[in-house]
Amino acid sequence: MTYFRDLWSSRELLLNLTMREITGRYKRTVLGQLWSLLNPLASMLVYTIVFGIIFRSDPGPGDPSGLDVFALWLLCGLLPFQFFQNAVNGGMGAIWANTALVKKVYFPRTNLVLAATFSAAFNWGVEMLILIVAILVAGAFVLPFVPLVLVFMVLFALLATGFGLVLAVVNVYFQDMQHIIGIALRLLMYLSPIVYPLSYVAARSESFGPVFGSVTLLDIYQLNPLERFINVFRQLLYDNRVPDLSDSMACVAWTVAALGVGILVFKKNEKRLAEML
Amino acid sequence: MTEPAVVVDHVSKKFRLFKENNRSLKSVAMRGRSVHEDFWAVRDVSFEVPKGSTFGLIGRNGSGKSTLLKTLAKILYPDRGTISADGKLAAMLEVGSGFHPELSGRENIYLNGSILGMSRKQINARLDEIIDFSEVGEFIDQPVKNYSSGMYVRLGFSIAITVRPDILVVDEVLAVGDSAFQRKSAKKFEELRDGGRTVILVTHSMANIRNMCDHVAWLDRGKLVRVGEAAPISAEYEEFMRSQ
Repeated sequence: MTYFRDLWSSRELLLNLTMREITGRYKRTVLGQLWSLLNPLASMLVYTIVFGIIFRSDPGPGDPSGLDVFALWLLCGLLPFQFFQNAVNGGMGAIWANTALVKKVYFPRTNLVLAATFSAAFNWGVEMLILIVAILVAGAFVLPFVPLVLVFMVLFALLATGFGLVLAVVNVYFQDMQHIIGIALRLLMYLSPIVYPLSYVAARSESFGPVFGSVTLLDIYQLNPLERFINVFRQLLYDNRVPDLSDSMACVAWTVAALGVGILVFKKNEKRLAEML
Repeated sequence: MTEPAVVVDHVSKKFRLFKENNRSLKSVAMRGRSVHEDFWAVRDVSFEVPKGSTFGLIGRNGSGKSTLLKTLAKILYPDRGTISADGKLAAMLEVGSGFHPELSGRENIYLNGSILGMSRKQINARLDEIIDFSEVGEFIDQPVKNYSSGMYVRLGFSIAITVRPDILVVDEVLAVGDSAFQRKSAKKFEELRDGGRTVILVTHSMANIRNMCDHVAWLDRGKLVRVGEAAPISAEYEEFMRSQ
């Protein structure tokens, strides 16, 4: 319990570290904070051209929203994924990047990882806000679902924090980790239904038949925690309906597990970080 | 005897010395575990720091005094024994660590102040005092990357000294700035002591020990040699150093 009390009493530090991440990054650029929006915009353009137009990935219209815009459908999955990528990368490098601080001053180290996730979450929040406006403009009345979107955004951010906490510690011991995770995240993007709809995987899995016992390819594919979250965000934002109970439960379970493991691992190793760096 | 501000109770600190860079995934996977030797930097040290005293840690290079200081500052954790502090403890092991080069001096005061445990309200109340003491003047709204190294450390020192903890842990950062600033800093330390606060410091300067400390602990090869009143022990220590 003292762990959480320490964390709570250092909340101003967390806020300041987060602000440092947010305002420090683009300080010397002309476009400043706009850069954080241009990145997802560029990805959206590339993926829409490659997968929406050239490969003709067709998710079909949103049900019941009736939306049929590939770029919007893509963003409902791409924005959460890119947040996850930024948060995990930032969290993983947080201790390592602040070596000087960790070796010279005492404060709850968790703050460094949290500041990385929070600053990524801040950018993501702005992106999601713009996405919601775009969906409204496109003619889908998404507003009643915004509170639920927020709930799942918080859950998703906690999931990323859990991963970040574990990886931040591992990365101090093995610097190989950041390179492994870099590759893993790139694979994960294509192993999640971001540029293609889940129905494509389901169809393949159907024609392939069970892998062993009654386990299908789809079951294995769905072990990816991001897959569930992306489904939920699509159901809320693109389809405008309450997400499946099984998807929602899986999201909660993954979040609790990742955050629990993250806090345990970090707490156990926190005291040794300064001498391992 | 007054109450102790800090109790160091049978503290030992061990470091693992790794053979070159064998912490990579490859070496661990190949050998199953990494190869290391244990090195005890601090061995079974016990003493009490009286409340309101200025307490010096002295010893040769490699005597373990800096390790012990870092352990007091909660940056390292003892492998054996415990350290308990009565009151709020802040450490000044390096000034200006945690400054963000692109942020202004003023923004860095808030950032650094909160790293050192001050609330926004406390910083607001002491902002003028910090800026005044640091002598950076109108540069306060410039990014700190444009600061001279003197301005950089003076600002760092001013923030740290303004935290006003019950117990202040200091590594040889007294030699910051020019001689005028050093005199000012020394006066600030006197004020702290007169205000009933405890200061624990590591320094190689015998002049600092004589002028500031009333108690010292002398460490050699990680072990405690003597602890107590400053004058007799520092004389004995100087004698010892001359014989080396």
